[in-house]
Amino acid sequence: MSSKTPKGPGNVTRNLVIGMVALVVAVGAIFSVLSNKENTSAALPSSVSQEDGYGIVFNGDLTGVPVIDIWEDFQCPVCARFEQTNGDYIEKLIEEKKAKVVFHTLSFLGPESSLAANAAACASDENKFLGFHRAFYQNLPAENSGAITTDYLIALGQGVGITSDKFKSCVANLDYKGWVNNVAASGGKANVNSTPTVFVNGKEIRRATSGADLGDYFDPAAFAKAVEGK
Amino acid sequence: MKKAQPWIGLLARLILGGVLLVAGYLKAFTPDKSMMAVRAYEILPIWLANVLGIILPWLEIGAGLLLIIGVGIRYAAMFGSALMVLFIIAIAQAWARGLSIDCGCFGGGGTIDPSQTKYLEEIIRDIGLALLGLYLLRYPVTKFALEKTKSHEQPTEKLTPGE
Repeated sequence: MSSKTPKGPGNVTRNLVIGMVALVVAVGAIFSVLSNKENTSAALPSSVSQEDGYGIVFNGDLTGVPVIDIWEDFQCPVCARFEQTNGDYIEKLIEEKKAKVVFHTLSFLGPESSLAANAAACASDENKFLGFHRAFYQNLPAENSGAITTDYLIALGQGVGITSDKFKSCVANLDYKGWVNNVAASGGKANVNSTPTVFVNGKEIRRATSGADLGDYFDPAAFAKAVEGK
Repeated sequence: MKKAQPWIGLLARLILGGVLLVAGYLKAFTPDKSMMAVRAYEILPIWLANVLGIILPWLEIGAGLLLIIGVGIRYAAMFGSALMVLFIIAIAQAWARGLSIDCGCFGGGGTIDPSQTKYLEEIIRDIGLALLGLYLLRYPVTKFALEKTKSHEQPTEKLTPGE
């Protein structure tokens, strides 16, 4: 190998390589930016409010009650733990109209999170979001294991009494894919950096500071106190 | 030592380039997570953190490719080292402020349990990588590089202006 290669062709190759690498970087970055932009024309599930960060809203008409914003990812095991800890209480608050609750279904853990979020939105159209939400976490499959499929989600829906063909096609055709992306984008704007993240009246509840500490998230009494402000 | 230099350089290129390429690749297709990782440092305004979270993985891929192929080594090495220094600063400030985050270097990231932070390991690793970049800046002549970089140290060839 001689170190004295002619300069001309070497330069062409060099520039070609640099040009190709620059192209890959530019195309990749531009594509990522565009696919992450909020799509204002995306189809929205019922009970979604753009003002509430595209979240699925319960008791949106109530005033003077605590507002609970729950940011979660369907594939997040800690979110399942939060649901198991406080799910009953939250559903009770909704039923008894004692709080406005907004569910924000993020999808950063992987494509299967998007599938699940879409299906939850489909379930919301059938007024079965809460049941679907609960059933999903009770049977939480391993993260990105390929277990969450269209068939799986439809079966899960049937388990909570959703039998309509509309639900099936909504799940299969990813009717709310654009909405799922919009929720993700609004999570970015709300500075949500992990799941679950829960805000009560716009303020994050206390996160655990050490392994033994449960924080407001996993201690039902502390959570109720954070919500009711007592 | 003179003989070993190009080989050390090759190793430095492959390690730094490989790490950048893999780190970029692991994040480039999960932009939501990557944006979250940058936000969690709580340094930048949210919109800027989100932009950086999307673009940075692609820049890492670019610099990694250049280092591995061996083109524009000095620029890529300079970029890599500068990036590592920024990471070290960012991680150190998170550590000092008592945040509990994952560096999000290879995907992941965001707020984590305080018992899971690995600030020291992350900083030591990034110092090592920054040094590799600095080595390449100083000795850019390496084995099996596509581009024949001339060392500024030992001008064996005469410069031929206008060619």
